[in-house]
Amino acid sequence: MAEPPNVCLTLSNQPDNVLLVRETLSGMAETVGVDGVDLNDIRTAVTEACNNVVLHAYEGEEGPLQVEMFVSADTVEVVVRDHGTGIKPHIRSDEEAALGIGLSIIQALAPRVEFKDVDGGGTEVRMEFATPSVQSLDSLVRNGFQAPSLERSQLATTTGLAVAPDTLARRVLPRVMCVLAARAHFTTDRISDTEMVADALVSEAFAPSTGDHLNVSVTVEPRSLQLRVGPLYSGGAGRLIASSPARGVGPVIEKLTDDRRIDADGASEMLELRLLDKR
Amino acid sequence: MTPTEMALPLATRGPGTAAGPATEAQLFARHIEGDQAAREVLVRRFIPLARSLARRYDRSSEPFEDLLQVASLGLLKALDRFDPTLGHPFASFAVPTILGEMRRHFRDAGWSVHVPRGAQERALKVRDAQERLANARGRAATVNELAEYLELSIEQIIDALQAIQAYESLSLDAPRPGATADEAPSYGDAMGEEDARYELVELDATVSAVLGRIPQRERDILRMRFVDDLTQTEIAERVGISQMQVSRLLRHSLDQLRALTATS
Repeated sequence: MAEPPNVCLTLSNQPDNVLLVRETLSGMAETVGVDGVDLNDIRTAVTEACNNVVLHAYEGEEGPLQVEMFVSADTVEVVVRDHGTGIKPHIRSDEEAALGIGLSIIQALAPRVEFKDVDGGGTEVRMEFATPSVQSLDSLVRNGFQAPSLERSQLATTTGLAVAPDTLARRVLPRVMCVLAARAHFTTDRISDTEMVADALVSEAFAPSTGDHLNVSVTVEPRSLQLRVGPLYSGGAGRLIASSPARGVGPVIEKLTDDRRIDADGASEMLELRLLDKR
Repeated sequence: MTPTEMALPLATRGPGTAAGPATEAQLFARHIEGDQAAREVLVRRFIPLARSLARRYDRSSEPFEDLLQVASLGLLKALDRFDPTLGHPFASFAVPTILGEMRRHFRDAGWSVHVPRGAQERALKVRDAQERLANARGRAATVNELAEYLELSIEQIIDALQAIQAYESLSLDAPRPGATADEAPSYGDAMGEEDARYELVELDATVSAVLGRIPQRERDILRMRFVDDLTQTEIAERVGISQMQVSRLLRHSLDQLRALTATS
Protein backbone atom coordinates (compact mmCIF):
# COMPACT_ATOMS: atom_id res chain seq x y z
CA MET A 1 0.00 0.00 0.00
CA ALA A 2 1.20 3.48 -0.79
CA GLU A 3 2.27 5.54 2.17
CA PRO A 4 -0.31 8.04 3.41
CA PRO A 5 0.42 11.74 3.04
CA ASN A 6 1.99 13.80 5.81
CA VAL A 7 -0.60 16.49 5.27
CA CYS A 8 -4.06 16.18 3.76
CA LEU A 9 -6.31 19.21 3.42
CA THR A 10 -9.94 19.01 2.35
CA LEU A 11 -11.26 22.41 1.38
CA SER A 12 -13.84 24.11 -0.73
CA ASN A 13 -12.52 25.50 -4.01
CA GLN A 14 -13.22 29.08 -2.92
CA PRO A 15 -10.37 31.49 -3.76
CA ASP A 16 -9.64 32.25 -0.05
CA ASN A 17 -8.51 28.70 0.46
CA VAL A 18 -5.47 29.07 -1.79
CA LEU A 19 -3.98 31.16 1.04
CA LEU A 20 -4.63 28.31 3.46
CA VAL A 21 -2.72 25.93 1.18
CA ARG A 22 0.16 28.41 0.84
CA GLU A 23 0.40 28.83 4.61
CA THR A 24 0.36 25.07 5.08
CA LEU A 25 3.26 24.81 2.64
CA SER A 26 5.16 27.44 4.63
CA GLY A 27 4.57 25.52 7.86
CA MET A 28 5.81 22.33 6.22
CA ALA A 29 8.85 24.12 4.79
CA GLU A 30 9.72 25.59 8.18
CA THR A 31 9.58 22.17 9.81
CA VAL A 32 11.84 20.34 7.40
CA GLY A 33 14.05 23.26 6.41
CA VAL A 34 13.09 23.79 2.77
CA ASP A 35 15.30 26.47 1.26
CA GLY A 36 13.47 29.82 0.89
CA VAL A 37 13.95 29.93 -2.88
CA ASP A 38 12.66 26.35 -3.26
CA LEU A 39 9.67 27.20 -1.08
CA ASN A 40 8.92 30.14 -3.33
CA ASP A 41 8.87 27.76 -6.31
CA ILE A 42 6.68 25.21 -4.52
CA ARG A 43 4.24 27.87 -3.38
CA THR A 44 4.03 29.34 -6.86
CA ALA A 45 3.48 26.04 -8.68
CA VAL A 46 0.95 24.75 -6.12
CA THR A 47 -0.88 28.09 -6.24
CA GLU A 48 -1.26 27.68 -10.01
CA ALA A 49 -2.63 24.16 -9.62
CA CYS A 50 -5.06 25.29 -6.90
CA ASN A 51 -6.18 28.32 -8.89
CA ASN A 52 -7.09 26.00 -11.71
CA VAL A 53 -9.38 24.08 -9.36
CA VAL A 54 -10.80 27.36 -8.07
CA LEU A 55 -11.55 28.58 -11.57
CA HIS A 56 -12.15 25.62 -13.82
CA ALA A 57 -12.94 22.41 -11.97
CA TYR A 58 -16.58 22.99 -11.07
CA GLU A 59 -17.76 25.42 -13.74
CA GLY A 60 -18.61 28.17 -11.30
CA GLU A 61 -20.05 25.88 -8.61
CA GLU A 62 -18.47 25.12 -5.25
CA GLY A 63 -16.72 21.77 -4.92
CA PRO A 64 -13.96 20.02 -3.00
CA LEU A 65 -10.27 20.83 -3.39
CA GLN A 66 -7.95 18.28 -1.87
CA VAL A 67 -4.28 18.90 -1.29
CA GLU A 68 -1.83 16.27 -0.08
CA MET A 69 1.81 16.75 0.85
CA PHE A 70 4.42 14.00 1.09
CA VAL A 71 7.77 14.80 2.62
CA SER A 72 10.79 12.55 2.13
CA ALA A 73 14.52 13.02 2.53
CA ASP A 74 15.15 14.98 -0.64
CA THR A 75 11.79 15.55 -2.26
CA VAL A 76 8.50 17.19 -1.45
CA GLU A 77 5.53 15.94 -3.39
CA VAL A 78 2.28 17.86 -3.56
CA VAL A 79 -0.93 16.50 -5.03
CA VAL A 80 -3.79 18.84 -5.93
CA ARG A 81 -7.04 17.03 -6.67
CA ASP A 82 -10.56 17.96 -7.62
CA HIS A 83 -13.68 15.92 -8.20
CA GLY A 84 -15.10 18.09 -10.93
CA THR A 85 -15.38 17.79 -14.64
CA GLY A 86 -14.45 21.27 -15.82
CA ILE A 87 -10.82 20.72 -16.55
CA LYS A 88 -10.61 17.14 -17.71
CA PRO A 89 -11.73 17.35 -21.33
CA HIS A 90 -9.27 20.17 -21.90
CA ILE A 91 -6.38 18.24 -20.47
CA ARG A 92 -6.99 15.46 -22.95
CA SER A 93 -7.26 17.78 -25.90
CA ASP A 94 -4.92 20.63 -25.20
CA GLU A 95 -3.37 21.12 -21.79
CA GLU A 96 -1.75 24.37 -22.70
CA ALA A 97 -4.97 26.06 -23.72
CA ALA A 98 -6.95 24.89 -20.70
CA LEU A 99 -4.42 25.85 -18.10
CA GLY A 100 -3.06 28.88 -19.87
CA ILE A 101 0.16 30.11 -18.47
CA GLY A 102 -0.38 28.09 -15.28
CA LEU A 103 0.76 24.81 -16.76
CA SER A 104 3.95 26.34 -18.18
CA ILE A 105 4.71 27.67 -14.71
CA ILE A 106 4.05 24.33 -13.02
CA GLN A 107 6.23 22.55 -15.56
CA ALA A 108 9.00 25.11 -15.23
CA LEU A 109 9.07 24.87 -11.43
CA ALA A 110 8.38 21.20 -10.67
CA PRO A 111 10.92 18.73 -12.08
CA ARG A 112 8.19 16.07 -12.30
CA VAL A 113 4.54 16.71 -13.05
CA GLU A 114 1.88 14.12 -13.65
CA PHE A 115 -1.78 14.56 -14.57
CA LYS A 116 -4.22 11.82 -13.76
CA ASP A 117 -7.94 11.28 -13.96
CA VAL A 118 -9.58 10.72 -10.59
CA ASP A 119 -11.92 7.72 -10.25
CA GLY A 120 -15.48 8.96 -10.38
CA GLY A 121 -14.53 12.19 -12.14
CA GLY A 122 -11.97 14.87 -11.54
CA THR A 123 -8.31 15.58 -12.05
CA GLU A 124 -5.18 15.10 -10.04
CA VAL A 125 -2.00 17.11 -10.53
CA ARG A 126 0.99 15.48 -8.87
CA MET A 127 4.07 17.69 -8.55
CA GLU A 128 7.41 16.52 -7.27
CA PHE A 129 9.95 19.08 -6.13
CA ALA A 130 13.62 18.44 -5.50
CA THR A 131 14.46 19.80 -2.06
CA PRO A 132 18.02 18.71 -1.29
CA SER A 133 18.06 20.72 1.93
CA VAL A 134 15.17 18.97 3.69
CA GLN A 135 15.48 16.87 6.79
CA SER A 136 13.34 13.79 6.58
CA LEU A 137 10.53 13.35 9.08
CA ASP A 138 11.78 10.56 11.27
CA SER A 139 8.62 8.97 12.57
CA LEU A 140 6.87 6.42 10.40
CA VAL A 141 3.35 7.37 9.50
CA ARG A 142 1.21 4.60 8.15
CA ASN A 143 -1.56 3.52 10.48
CA GLY A 144 -5.21 4.35 10.27
CA PHE A 145 -4.96 7.28 7.90
CA GLN A 146 -8.31 8.87 7.25
CA ALA A 147 -8.57 11.74 4.79
CA PRO A 148 -10.80 14.36 6.38
CA SER A 149 -14.25 13.62 4.98
CA LEU A 150 -16.69 16.47 4.67
CA GLU A 151 -20.14 16.60 3.15
CA ARG A 152 -20.42 18.97 0.21
CA SER A 153 -22.90 21.03 2.21
CA GLN A 154 -20.26 21.58 4.93
CA LEU A 155 -17.54 22.69 2.54
CA ALA A 156 -18.55 26.33 2.39
CA THR A 157 -17.68 26.84 6.05
CA THR A 158 -15.58 23.84 7.07
CA THR A 159 -11.98 22.84 6.44
CA GLY A 160 -10.53 19.40 7.17
CA LEU A 161 -6.90 18.72 8.03
CA ALA A 162 -5.03 15.49 8.75
CA VAL A 163 -1.37 15.87 9.63
CA ALA A 164 1.48 13.70 10.91
CA PRO A 165 3.93 13.39 12.55
CA ASP A 166 3.70 15.80 15.49
CA THR A 167 6.88 17.68 14.51
CA LEU A 168 5.11 18.71 11.31
CA ALA A 169 1.78 19.37 13.01
CA ARG A 170 3.55 21.76 15.41
CA ARG A 171 4.18 24.21 12.55
CA VAL A 172 1.20 23.43 10.35
CA LEU A 173 -1.81 23.38 12.69
CA PRO A 174 -1.21 26.78 14.38
CA ARG A 175 -0.71 28.41 10.96
CA VAL A 176 -3.89 26.88 9.58
CA MET A 177 -5.75 27.99 12.72
CA CYS A 178 -4.32 31.50 12.35
CA VAL A 179 -5.68 31.78 8.80
CA LEU A 180 -9.09 30.46 9.84
CA ALA A 181 -9.27 32.68 12.94
CA ALA A 182 -8.43 35.67 10.74
CA ARG A 183 -11.24 34.61 8.43
CA ALA A 184 -13.60 34.49 11.42
CA HIS A 185 -12.63 38.14 12.12
CA PHE A 186 -10.88 37.31 15.37
CA THR A 187 -8.63 39.98 16.86
CA THR A 188 -4.90 39.20 16.97
CA ASP A 189 -5.40 38.68 20.70
CA ARG A 190 -7.85 35.86 20.17
CA ILE A 191 -5.94 34.54 17.15
CA SER A 192 -3.03 33.95 19.48
CA ASP A 193 -5.31 32.08 21.91
CA THR A 194 -6.44 29.95 18.98
CA GLU A 195 -2.82 29.17 18.14
CA MET A 196 -2.23 28.17 21.76
CA VAL A 197 -5.17 25.76 21.55
CA ALA A 198 -3.55 24.37 18.39
CA ASP A 199 -0.22 24.00 20.25
CA ALA A 200 -2.00 22.14 23.05
CA LEU A 201 -3.72 19.82 20.57
CA VAL A 202 -0.44 19.05 18.84
CA SER A 203 1.25 18.12 22.09
CA GLU A 204 -1.68 16.26 23.65
CA ALA A 205 -3.94 14.90 20.91
CA PHE A 206 -1.62 12.53 19.04
CA ALA A 207 -1.54 9.95 21.82
CA PRO A 208 -5.33 9.51 22.11
CA SER A 209 -5.88 9.59 18.31
CA THR A 210 -6.97 6.27 16.85
CA GLY A 211 -4.58 6.65 13.90
CA ASP A 212 -1.11 8.13 13.42
CA HIS A 213 -2.54 11.43 12.19
CA LEU A 214 -4.03 14.34 14.04
CA ASN A 215 -7.42 14.95 12.44
CA VAL A 216 -9.06 18.33 12.92
CA SER A 217 -11.95 19.93 11.09
CA VAL A 218 -12.71 23.59 11.64
CA THR A 219 -15.95 25.42 10.96
CA VAL A 220 -15.70 29.17 10.53
CA GLU A 221 -18.53 31.55 11.35
CA PRO A 222 -18.32 35.24 12.16
CA ARG A 223 -16.36 35.51 15.44
CA SER A 224 -16.66 31.79 16.02
CA LEU A 225 -14.51 28.75 15.33
CA GLN A 226 -15.68 25.23 15.96
CA LEU A 227 -13.10 22.45 16.03
CA ARG A 228 -13.79 18.75 15.78
CA VAL A 229 -10.78 16.70 16.85
CA GLY A 230 -10.57 12.96 16.37
CA PRO A 231 -11.48 10.16 16.19
CA LEU A 232 -9.94 9.65 19.64
CA TYR A 233 -9.92 6.59 21.86
CA SER A 234 -12.66 6.51 24.43
CA GLY A 235 -11.75 8.75 27.36
CA GLY A 236 -9.16 10.67 25.32
CA ALA A 237 -11.29 13.77 24.84
CA GLY A 238 -11.87 14.26 28.57
CA ARG A 239 -8.16 13.91 29.31
CA LEU A 240 -7.35 16.42 26.56
CA ILE A 241 -9.65 19.03 28.07
CA ALA A 242 -8.16 18.54 31.52
CA SER A 243 -4.52 18.35 30.47
CA SER A 244 -2.16 21.03 31.66
CA PRO A 245 1.42 21.79 30.62
CA ALA A 246 2.44 22.26 34.27
CA ARG A 247 0.95 22.37 37.73
CA GLY A 248 0.08 25.97 38.52
CA VAL A 249 -0.99 26.87 34.98
CA GLY A 250 -4.19 24.86 34.77
CA PRO A 251 -5.92 23.22 31.82
CA VAL A 252 -5.02 25.35 28.79
CA ILE A 253 -7.68 24.03 26.42
CA GLU A 254 -10.42 24.51 28.98
CA LYS A 255 -9.25 28.03 29.78
CA LEU A 256 -8.99 29.20 26.18
CA THR A 257 -12.17 27.71 24.70
CA ASP A 258 -15.75 28.84 25.25
CA ASP A 259 -17.43 25.46 24.96
CA ARG A 260 -16.35 21.84 24.97
CA ARG A 261 -18.32 18.73 24.09
CA ILE A 262 -17.51 15.08 23.74
CA ASP A 263 -19.29 13.30 20.94
CA ALA A 264 -19.01 9.57 21.69
CA ASP A 265 -19.46 7.02 18.94
CA GLY A 266 -18.93 3.45 20.14
CA ALA A 267 -15.30 2.80 20.96
CA SER A 268 -14.16 6.18 19.70
CA GLU A 269 -15.14 9.77 20.31
CA MET A 270 -14.76 13.26 18.88
CA LEU A 271 -13.78 16.32 20.87
CA GLU A 272 -15.67 19.45 19.91
CA LEU A 273 -14.26 22.82 20.92
CA ARG A 274 -15.71 26.24 20.32
CA LEU A 275 -13.77 29.48 20.41
CA LEU A 276 -15.57 32.81 20.27
CA ASP A 277 -14.28 36.34 19.98
CA LYS A 278 -16.53 38.25 22.34
CA ARG A 279 -14.73 41.61 22.14
CA MET B 1 -2.44 37.94 -9.67
CA THR B 2 -6.18 37.69 -9.56
CA PRO B 3 -7.96 34.45 -10.36
CA THR B 4 -9.74 36.02 -13.31
CA GLU B 5 -6.45 36.93 -14.84
CA MET B 6 -5.31 33.33 -14.49
CA ALA B 7 -8.47 32.21 -16.21
CA LEU B 8 -7.47 33.79 -19.47
CA PRO B 9 -5.67 31.30 -21.61
CA LEU B 10 -2.55 32.71 -23.14
CA ALA B 11 -4.16 32.86 -26.54
CA THR B 12 -6.58 35.60 -25.48
CA ARG B 13 -3.91 37.73 -23.82
CA GLY B 14 -2.58 39.00 -27.08
CA PRO B 15 1.15 38.47 -27.24
CA GLY B 16 2.11 36.56 -30.30
CA THR B 17 -0.45 33.87 -30.54
CA ALA B 18 -3.54 36.03 -31.14
CA ALA B 19 -2.21 37.29 -34.42
CA GLY B 20 -1.23 33.78 -35.45
CA PRO B 21 2.07 32.00 -35.21
CA ALA B 22 3.15 33.21 -38.64
CA THR B 23 3.61 36.77 -37.46
CA GLU B 24 5.54 35.66 -34.43
CA ALA B 25 7.74 33.51 -36.65
CA GLN B 26 8.29 36.39 -39.06
CA LEU B 27 9.24 38.71 -36.23
CA PHE B 28 11.70 36.18 -34.87
CA ALA B 29 13.18 35.68 -38.33
CA ARG B 30 13.77 39.44 -38.63
CA HIS B 31 15.03 39.63 -35.04
CA ILE B 32 17.62 36.95 -35.70
CA GLU B 33 18.88 38.94 -38.68
CA GLY B 34 19.49 41.82 -36.29
CA ASP B 35 16.34 43.88 -36.95
CA GLN B 36 16.03 46.11 -33.84
CA ALA B 37 12.46 47.17 -34.71
CA ALA B 38 11.30 43.54 -34.78
CA ARG B 39 12.97 42.97 -31.42
CA GLU B 40 11.12 45.94 -29.94
CA VAL B 41 7.78 44.66 -31.23
CA LEU B 42 8.51 41.29 -29.64
CA VAL B 43 9.44 42.90 -26.33
CA ARG B 44 6.21 44.91 -26.31
CA ARG B 45 4.19 41.81 -27.10
CA PHE B 46 5.67 39.68 -24.38
CA ILE B 47 6.02 42.25 -21.61
CA PRO B 48 2.53 41.28 -20.35
CA LEU B 49 3.86 37.72 -19.90
CA ALA B 50 6.79 39.03 -17.82
CA ARG B 51 4.42 41.21 -15.81
CA SER B 52 2.08 38.31 -15.21
CA LEU B 53 4.92 36.16 -13.88
CA ALA B 54 6.27 38.98 -11.70
CA ARG B 55 2.82 39.45 -10.21
CA ARG B 56 2.84 35.84 -9.06
CA TYR B 57 5.66 36.71 -6.70
CA ASP B 58 4.07 39.96 -5.66
CA ARG B 59 3.16 38.51 -2.28
CA SER B 60 6.83 38.17 -1.50
CA SER B 61 8.58 40.98 0.30
CA GLU B 62 10.26 42.31 -2.84
CA PRO B 63 8.77 45.48 -4.34
CA PHE B 64 6.77 44.73 -7.50
CA GLU B 65 8.85 47.14 -9.61
CA ASP B 66 12.01 45.17 -8.78
CA LEU B 67 10.32 41.89 -9.63
CA LEU B 68 9.09 43.31 -12.92
CA GLN B 69 12.57 44.48 -13.77
CA VAL B 70 14.03 41.03 -13.10
CA ALA B 71 11.24 39.37 -15.13
CA SER B 72 11.84 41.79 -18.01
CA LEU B 73 15.54 40.98 -17.97
CA GLY B 74 14.57 37.32 -18.17
CA LEU B 75 12.35 38.10 -21.13
CA LEU B 76 15.22 39.80 -22.99
CA LYS B 77 17.45 36.79 -22.35
CA ALA B 78 14.70 34.49 -23.63
CA LEU B 79 14.29 36.57 -26.80
CA ASP B 80 17.99 36.35 -27.54
CA ARG B 81 18.29 32.64 -26.83
CA PHE B 82 15.09 31.44 -28.49
CA ASP B 83 15.49 29.23 -31.53
CA PRO B 84 12.31 29.52 -33.66
CA THR B 85 13.43 26.74 -35.99
CA LEU B 86 12.66 24.17 -33.27
CA GLY B 87 8.97 24.81 -33.78
CA HIS B 88 7.92 25.52 -30.17
CA PRO B 89 5.89 28.58 -29.24
CA PHE B 90 8.02 31.32 -27.71
CA ALA B 91 5.96 31.50 -24.49
CA SER B 92 6.78 27.91 -23.53
CA PHE B 93 10.46 28.79 -23.77
CA ALA B 94 10.13 32.21 -22.14
CA VAL B 95 8.28 31.09 -18.96
CA PRO B 96 11.07 28.87 -17.60
CA THR B 97 13.74 31.38 -18.65
CA ILE B 98 11.99 34.25 -16.87
CA LEU B 99 11.29 32.11 -13.79
CA GLY B 100 14.95 31.06 -13.77
CA GLU B 101 16.00 34.70 -13.74
CA MET B 102 13.65 35.43 -10.82
CA ARG B 103 14.94 32.41 -8.95
CA ARG B 104 18.48 33.72 -9.30
CA HIS B 105 17.32 37.08 -8.06
CA PHE B 106 15.73 35.57 -4.94
CA ARG B 107 18.85 33.54 -4.30
CA ASP B 108 21.08 36.63 -4.65
CA ALA B 109 18.75 38.59 -2.38
CA GLY B 110 19.47 36.10 0.38
CA TRP B 111 16.15 34.28 0.38
CA SER B 112 17.70 30.86 0.79
CA VAL B 113 19.43 31.43 4.10
CA HIS B 114 17.30 33.65 6.30
CA VAL B 115 14.12 35.63 6.48
CA PRO B 116 14.50 38.42 3.94
CA ARG B 117 14.97 41.89 5.38
CA GLY B 118 11.80 43.12 3.71
CA ALA B 119 9.77 40.54 5.63
CA GLN B 120 11.39 41.57 8.91
CA GLU B 121 10.66 45.22 8.29
CA ARG B 122 7.08 44.35 7.48
CA ALA B 123 6.75 42.35 10.69
CA LEU B 124 7.90 45.40 12.67
CA LYS B 125 5.41 47.57 10.82
CA VAL B 126 2.61 45.16 11.61
CA ARG B 127 3.63 45.09 15.26
CA ASP B 128 3.61 48.90 15.47
CA ALA B 129 0.29 49.21 13.64
CA GLN B 130 -1.17 46.60 15.93
CA GLU B 131 -0.21 48.67 18.95
CA ARG B 132 -1.45 51.92 17.47
CA LEU B 133 -4.82 50.40 16.57
CA ALA B 134 -5.12 48.73 19.96
CA ASN B 135 -4.49 52.04 21.72
CA ALA B 136 -7.05 53.79 19.54
CA ARG B 137 -9.78 51.18 19.93
CA GLY B 138 -9.13 49.68 23.31
CA ARG B 139 -8.94 46.18 21.84
CA ALA B 140 -6.62 44.25 19.55
CA ALA B 141 -7.09 44.69 15.80
CA THR B 142 -8.31 42.02 13.40
CA VAL B 143 -6.19 40.87 10.46
CA ASN B 144 -8.54 42.67 8.07
CA GLU B 145 -8.17 45.90 10.01
CA LEU B 146 -4.38 45.62 9.93
CA ALA B 147 -4.41 44.84 6.21
CA GLU B 148 -6.58 47.84 5.51
CA TYR B 149 -4.57 50.15 7.75
CA LEU B 150 -1.21 49.15 6.26
CA GLU B 151 -2.51 48.60 2.72
CA LEU B 152 -1.11 45.07 2.71
CA SER B 153 -2.74 41.77 1.74
CA ILE B 154 -4.26 39.39 4.29
CA GLU B 155 -1.47 36.96 3.42
CA GLN B 156 1.22 39.54 4.12
CA ILE B 157 -0.30 40.28 7.54
CA ILE B 158 -0.57 36.58 8.39
CA ASP B 159 3.02 35.98 7.29
CA ALA B 160 4.12 38.90 9.47
CA LEU B 161 2.21 37.51 12.47
CA GLN B 162 3.88 34.15 11.95
CA ALA B 163 7.28 35.78 11.53
CA ILE B 164 6.86 37.68 14.81
CA GLN B 165 6.15 34.38 16.55
CA ALA B 166 9.23 32.81 15.03
CA TYR B 167 11.81 35.55 15.48
CA GLU B 168 14.19 35.06 18.31
CA SER B 169 16.06 38.17 17.33
CA LEU B 170 16.11 40.95 19.87
CA SER B 171 15.25 43.56 17.28
CA LEU B 172 11.55 42.87 17.78
CA ASP B 173 11.92 43.46 21.48
CA ALA B 174 13.66 46.77 21.04
CA PRO B 175 11.80 49.71 22.61
CA ARG B 176 9.02 51.00 20.45
CA PRO B 177 9.24 54.47 18.94
CA GLY B 178 8.34 57.09 21.54
CA ALA B 179 8.64 54.77 24.52
CA THR B 180 11.15 55.60 27.21
CA ALA B 181 13.43 52.95 28.57
CA ASP B 182 11.35 52.73 31.77
CA GLU B 183 8.13 51.97 29.96
CA ALA B 184 9.59 49.43 27.64
CA PRO B 185 11.38 46.63 29.42
CA SER B 186 13.43 44.63 26.99
CA TYR B 187 13.42 40.90 26.58
CA GLY B 188 16.66 40.71 28.54
CA ASP B 189 15.20 42.13 31.75
CA ALA B 190 14.08 38.83 33.13
CA MET B 191 17.27 37.08 32.17
CA GLY B 192 19.84 36.35 34.83
CA GLU B 193 17.27 36.52 37.59
CA GLU B 194 16.23 32.97 36.94
CA ASP B 195 18.82 31.34 39.22
CA ALA B 196 18.10 33.64 42.13
CA ARG B 197 14.40 32.93 41.99
CA TYR B 198 14.74 29.21 41.58
CA GLU B 199 15.16 28.61 45.30
CA LEU B 200 12.22 30.78 46.24
CA VAL B 201 9.98 28.89 43.89
CA GLU B 202 10.81 25.59 45.50
CA LEU B 203 9.37 26.93 48.74
CA ASP B 204 6.11 27.92 47.10
CA ALA B 205 3.82 24.92 47.29
CA THR B 206 1.32 26.29 44.77
CA VAL B 207 3.89 26.46 42.01
CA SER B 208 5.41 23.34 40.56
CA ALA B 209 9.15 22.95 40.30
CA VAL B 210 8.81 22.94 36.53
CA LEU B 211 7.14 26.33 36.52
CA GLY B 212 9.98 27.63 38.65
CA ARG B 213 12.42 26.96 35.87
CA ILE B 214 11.14 29.63 33.55
CA PRO B 215 11.85 33.33 34.13
CA GLN B 216 9.73 35.37 36.54
CA ARG B 217 8.26 37.64 33.90
CA GLU B 218 7.06 34.68 31.82
CA ARG B 219 5.55 33.14 34.95
CA ASP B 220 3.76 36.40 35.72
CA ILE B 221 2.37 36.55 32.20
CA LEU B 222 1.17 32.94 32.41
CA ARG B 223 -0.55 33.72 35.71
CA MET B 224 -2.23 36.83 34.31
CA ARG B 225 -3.59 34.89 31.33
CA PHE B 226 -4.51 31.56 32.89
CA VAL B 227 -5.26 32.42 36.52
CA ASP B 228 -6.36 36.06 36.45
CA ASP B 229 -8.08 35.68 33.05
CA LEU B 230 -6.68 38.88 31.58
CA THR B 231 -6.66 39.22 27.79
CA GLN B 232 -3.30 39.45 26.05
CA THR B 233 -3.94 43.13 25.32
CA GLU B 234 -4.53 43.80 29.02
CA ILE B 235 -1.37 41.90 29.92
CA ALA B 236 0.57 43.86 27.30
CA GLU B 237 -0.52 47.10 28.92
CA ARG B 238 0.48 46.00 32.42
CA VAL B 239 3.84 44.58 31.45
CA GLY B 240 4.66 47.33 28.97
CA ILE B 241 5.28 45.16 25.93
CA SER B 242 3.26 44.55 22.76
CA GLN B 243 0.40 42.06 22.59
CA MET B 244 2.38 40.11 20.01
CA GLN B 245 5.27 39.81 22.43
CA VAL B 246 2.85 38.59 25.07
CA SER B 247 1.62 36.04 22.55
CA ARG B 248 5.14 34.93 21.75
CA LEU B 249 6.18 34.70 25.40
CA LEU B 250 3.04 32.74 26.31
CA ARG B 251 3.46 30.22 23.53
CA HIS B 252 7.16 29.92 24.17
CA SER B 253 6.76 29.36 27.92
CA LEU B 254 3.99 26.79 27.43
CA ASP B 255 6.31 24.97 25.01
CA GLN B 256 9.13 25.07 27.53
CA LEU B 257 6.86 23.83 30.30
CA ARG B 258 5.69 20.92 28.17
CA ALA B 259 9.28 20.00 27.34
CA LEU B 260 10.33 20.26 30.99
CA THR B 261 7.34 18.21 32.17
CA ALA B 262 8.12 15.55 29.58
CA THR B 263 11.72 15.21 30.74
CA SER B 264 11.14 15.49 34.50
